[in-house]
Amino acid sequence: MTTLSAARYGTTRRTVTVRVNGRDVTRAVSTRITLADFLRDELDLVSVHLGCEHGECGCCTVLFDGHSVRSCLMLAVQADGHAVETVESLSVDPAKLHPIQECFAEEQGLQCGFCTPAMLLRTKEIIETGRELTDAEVRHEISGILCRCTGYQNIVNAVQSAGARLRGRAAGGRDP
Amino acid sequence: MTYTYIGKDRRRVEDPRLLVGRGGYIADLGVPGMLHAAILRSPLPHAWIRSIDATEALRLPGVVAVLTGEDCKARMNPCMSFGPATITQYPLAVDKVRYVGEAVAAVVAESRYLAEDGVDLLKADYEELPPVTDPMAAMEPGSALLHEEHGSNIGYERTFEFGDVTAAFAGADLIVEDTLRWGRSAGMPLETTGAVAQPGFNGVLEIYCNSLNFSYFVFLIAATLRIPSNKLTLRPVPAGGSFGSKLAAHKVPTLAGFLALQTGRPVSYVEDRIDHLENSDHHGCDRIYEARMGFRADGTIVGLDIDVVDDYGAYMQFGVGHHGNAFSQVVGPYRFRDVRYRLRAVVTDKCQQGAYRGFGSEVHNWVLERLVDEGAARLGLAPEEIRRRNFIQPDQFPYKIPGGNLYDSGDYPAVLDKALSMIDLDRWRAEQRRLREEEGRHIGIGLATTQERSVFSATEFWFLLEKPTFPLTSSPESATVTIDPTGQFQLLLHCQSMWGNSPETVGATLLAEEFGIPPESVNVRYADSAHALPGTGPGGSRYTAMVAGAIRGASRKLRQKLVHIAAHTLEVAPEDLELVDARVQVRAAPETGLTIAELAATAYFFALGLPEGMTSGLEESFTYDHPYTTLPAPDGSDLGVFYPIMGHACHIAVLEVDPDTGMVSFLDYVAVHDAGTIVNPKSLGGHVTGGATQGIGTTLYEELAYDADGRFRSSTFRDYLIPTAVEAPAFRIGHVQTPSPFTEYGIKGGGEGGRMVAPAAVSAALDDALREYGMRVRQLPVKPWEIVATVQAGRTAQGWV
Amino acid sequence: MKPPPFTYCDPESVDEAVGLKSEYGIDSLVLAGGQSLLPLLNMRLVRPEALIDINRIGDLQKIEPRSDMLEVGAGVRQYELENHPQVGRLIPLLPEATGCIGHLETRHRGTVGGSLAHADSAAELPCTAVTLDATVVARGPSGTRTIEAQDFFRGWTTTALEPEEVLVAVRYPVPPQAAGHGFVEVARRVGDLALAGAAAVVNLDEDGRFTSVSVGVLGISDTPVRAWAVESALIGEASTAENIARAAEEIVPSVTSGDDLHATRAYRRHLARLVVRRAITAAVARAHERSDGT
Repeated sequence: MTTLSAARYGTTRRTVTVRVNGRDVTRAVSTRITLADFLRDELDLVSVHLGCEHGECGCCTVLFDGHSVRSCLMLAVQADGHAVETVESLSVDPAKLHPIQECFAEEQGLQCGFCTPAMLLRTKEIIETGRELTDAEVRHEISGILCRCTGYQNIVNAVQSAGARLRGRAAGGRDP
Repeated sequence: MTYTYIGKDRRRVEDPRLLVGRGGYIADLGVPGMLHAAILRSPLPHAWIRSIDATEALRLPGVVAVLTGEDCKARMNPCMSFGPATITQYPLAVDKVRYVGEAVAAVVAESRYLAEDGVDLLKADYEELPPVTDPMAAMEPGSALLHEEHGSNIGYERTFEFGDVTAAFAGADLIVEDTLRWGRSAGMPLETTGAVAQPGFNGVLEIYCNSLNFSYFVFLIAATLRIPSNKLTLRPVPAGGSFGSKLAAHKVPTLAGFLALQTGRPVSYVEDRIDHLENSDHHGCDRIYEARMGFRADGTIVGLDIDVVDDYGAYMQFGVGHHGNAFSQVVGPYRFRDVRYRLRAVVTDKCQQGAYRGFGSEVHNWVLERLVDEGAARLGLAPEEIRRRNFIQPDQFPYKIPGGNLYDSGDYPAVLDKALSMIDLDRWRAEQRRLREEEGRHIGIGLATTQERSVFSATEFWFLLEKPTFPLTSSPESATVTIDPTGQFQLLLHCQSMWGNSPETVGATLLAEEFGIPPESVNVRYADSAHALPGTGPGGSRYTAMVAGAIRGASRKLRQKLVHIAAHTLEVAPEDLELVDARVQVRAAPETGLTIAELAATAYFFALGLPEGMTSGLEESFTYDHPYTTLPAPDGSDLGVFYPIMGHACHIAVLEVDPDTGMVSFLDYVAVHDAGTIVNPKSLGGHVTGGATQGIGTTLYEELAYDADGRFRSSTFRDYLIPTAVEAPAFRIGHVQTPSPFTEYGIKGGGEGGRMVAPAAVSAALDDALREYGMRVRQLPVKPWEIVATVQAGRTAQGWV
Repeated sequence: MKPPPFTYCDPESVDEAVGLKSEYGIDSLVLAGGQSLLPLLNMRLVRPEALIDINRIGDLQKIEPRSDMLEVGAGVRQYELENHPQVGRLIPLLPEATGCIGHLETRHRGTVGGSLAHADSAAELPCTAVTLDATVVARGPSGTRTIEAQDFFRGWTTTALEPEEVLVAVRYPVPPQAAGHGFVEVARRVGDLALAGAAAVVNLDEDGRFTSVSVGVLGISDTPVRAWAVESALIGEASTAENIARAAEEIVPSVTSGDDLHATRAYRRHLARLVVRRAITAAVARAHERSDGT
């Protein structure tokens, strides 16, 4: 490997078009920017939280083409032509929460809120499989996202309650 | 006492914004023209800094400045500290580095990416010194010194004795003795500590930070930065978790402030995860105990003798406050009267200790409960039975313990009984036997209790010192309640208190109770330090009880004003009126009355309609001082009352150990807590499960490990193992409510108890699961290979292998 | 914790990727799923001159099941391998082992080729490749070559790939239908890299004697280990618990990993025996199930 030298600094940029929360956005981005930083810094989607930046805590989880991924472990350029969903896709209105958000509020499946957007998106993905899960299975399914506040019990309750509420219905829809 | 809102499982008012991803965390904050800082961390545990060459870094386009310890030494004072004056610290290492990861230089650049590019280009030259890592060896003469000026690696040494332990042990039938080690873990919130500092108007420096308690210590940071305290404003930013790790976290805001002052630009410094793991303000306790406990044959505890060496790491910012804290509940829930406590605090080449949920009391409780369990085993008593025989009884409160602290109230047998009935102990013990006999499985049942001291008084930070430099006694909390002209409520809190707890829910619930308004209608804000009334912030499970006192005080004044306006308007005597459901009405004729909105309009707009001498507006503030604290005796024979609001808990863990792998999984877990009057049971339950899971982490998974050479082994989340949802048990929570006679509403603190008891319960369960092999947990975290080795040794001894 | 600067290249064909590798050589790294590489980049533990992103190369993303061989493109995501119905039918060991990799969020992105090329000795896919006698397909400037998995893993995160080569696929021979498989890991937390683990594929004769045994072990050395001594101790022997336990002892000399934060060497030796025994035991149970037609 060559060592980085000041003289060599110069980041290439690339124009990307990403479908973010259902809308195409086009930006010129540095090719070394992570997807997480792109969402946060370029698009102000600050719900994407950086807890470790090495893929262990899961707080930066987003849905990439419908699948949960760690956005700190992707480059923004890799999202060109793909779809990304953040928690803003559920609801951005604190007064009109998505049913999953409602269930987390009701069960107090959060305390500081730092892992919460990731947990909500993962919950949506879990529910969309259509499978009914035991509590132990829910624990396994959310084990890729750390929560330091709750001890998980209230999160498990919230996931189960959201599943019961949305089962038979796509998790993407708003409550009528 | 029956309440409308208090004690109900209501939704938290903090949650809607968090659920839409707008928590307002420090990293979300952008300020125009803001620069970003990254730090160069020391690769060495102990070394003189010979030079730092920033030439290449400064040539990199986008890099604005490079600051080092030399700049700190020249232009700032040492960081705030309650420790020995000869142990000084700066946010960037001055002259020498004292642990791997210590910040050596900061690069300020147009982006974090560029700042890290700049860090890569720094060339630091060190002269290595022998690493000091073993606290026992560090105390020996001839050990390399961390702080030459201090002259020794012993930061503090003293023996306290309350009662007469020698005499008590002389009358004992059994003395159990053990060497117990508590490993280093930390609060490790998922959001790190961060600050954004910007030069403001009139030479004021504004620092946004997620550090808690700032209205308490702002003047200390100003002194470090060499600016007048009225020229420093700390602005509160909600924290994404703390658990102690953001309690008065000063290095980050101090560094950000220094960088902003030096560059004249707004600067953001947010720790990355490696910074936080290696260089945070707050690693947790790291102790070695030689501990003895005496018993009579009937299980009565007669005394406790402790010799503890505490490995503080490189600096001692809180002095030995962690041990002052342990003195608040030094006898646990038990009646014995004789205690000896020898403390040696040692500095080593490790990151400094700070606060972690329990602040030292959790370690003491683990030691206490380990000894009680050993006594029970040796005396043939069940763990619940030996505890029951030693409990302070409900009719003994208020109860003064050896050392001087006072327990306000409690019903320990009721908590134990509830836990036992919830777990159905007889059924589990039968199941344990059946699974062992029929399926060869190893199930363990562990029971432990804890006192949960809450609402600290500041005396604990200095009363262990021979000559305290700053014997403060105040730790107040304030609240301002405003009813606006339309009758809507604003609550202003005077500290940064949101880290995942529920200060806004608590405040809104109490205001709803006081005024009969919907809790969700209250708007809660936080004052910056330029506007803040005295406030100490969360810590030591004090905030709910303290802010309740402040809110009730402000509410009383405001209620009185409303009643007097109504009395004047309705032309009735104030004593004939009552405030019900946001309306002041005549007791005898409730149909006659005025709503708060009507009264507010009068208060703001119709001064001529107000009683004589009353001024316009509806805003009242109240500063609530500690409800019950006394000064320590000058000779140290009595430490005074300093932590009297005393909760209690009992946890029972049922787990299974795979004896071949040493891995542990939970089958059941019951936690019963008594935190006095509960404002919101579900919220309190969440703190119990969260705290207990952290306690399980400390017991089985988490370790901030240094090897003998001082290298740090836990620099990433691949190595620092926070429990996931799979490792955490399915919890069942029970509450007992014994109100405090000293606080408003009878509230006690409940934020730390989960972590204070879980290590003892899980340790006991491990012993129980592998009792046939002689398992005895003596060191945390328990490593799977230690379990396997115990099983193998036990099987060999039994002739199995 | 941000990536250092690099030249980003995202070729659309394997040839183009090979051209870039030829150009940059050891100063370049291939970015596949990125689940191991991005942490290294973010922590600046690697500083490539060029990053060659192969995610746009459609040719690398195919799973081709044949009767005697399964070919999996290097760019196939781990969760696709895990959930592919034909993979599960032909080589059930693969989805079982793949499901143990990290967490779902990392398997959504992580690739088969990326895991093999990263060559972490505690990883699941290198271990199964060794167990199944897989062949790694590499393309370089002078064409395509195949490398036996046994020869592919050379040392700690080191492979037989030349600097100008790109890993394009892995070929797994399909075991006989009657084969039984087992996969066992021991990790401190769910999703952690295992302290030790073992994969086993066995075939039994009508008397329950081993006609073939293949065992790979992860986490105990610089590379995934093929447990030859264990296998030869079992061939022709009855598939009894005693025989399996005795044979499992043979793995112990292969444990070369020293003490680390999460395991001591002695513990790893113990675990190695244990996972080998458990994996073979599970494989035998499955082989019995299959021969019983259940």
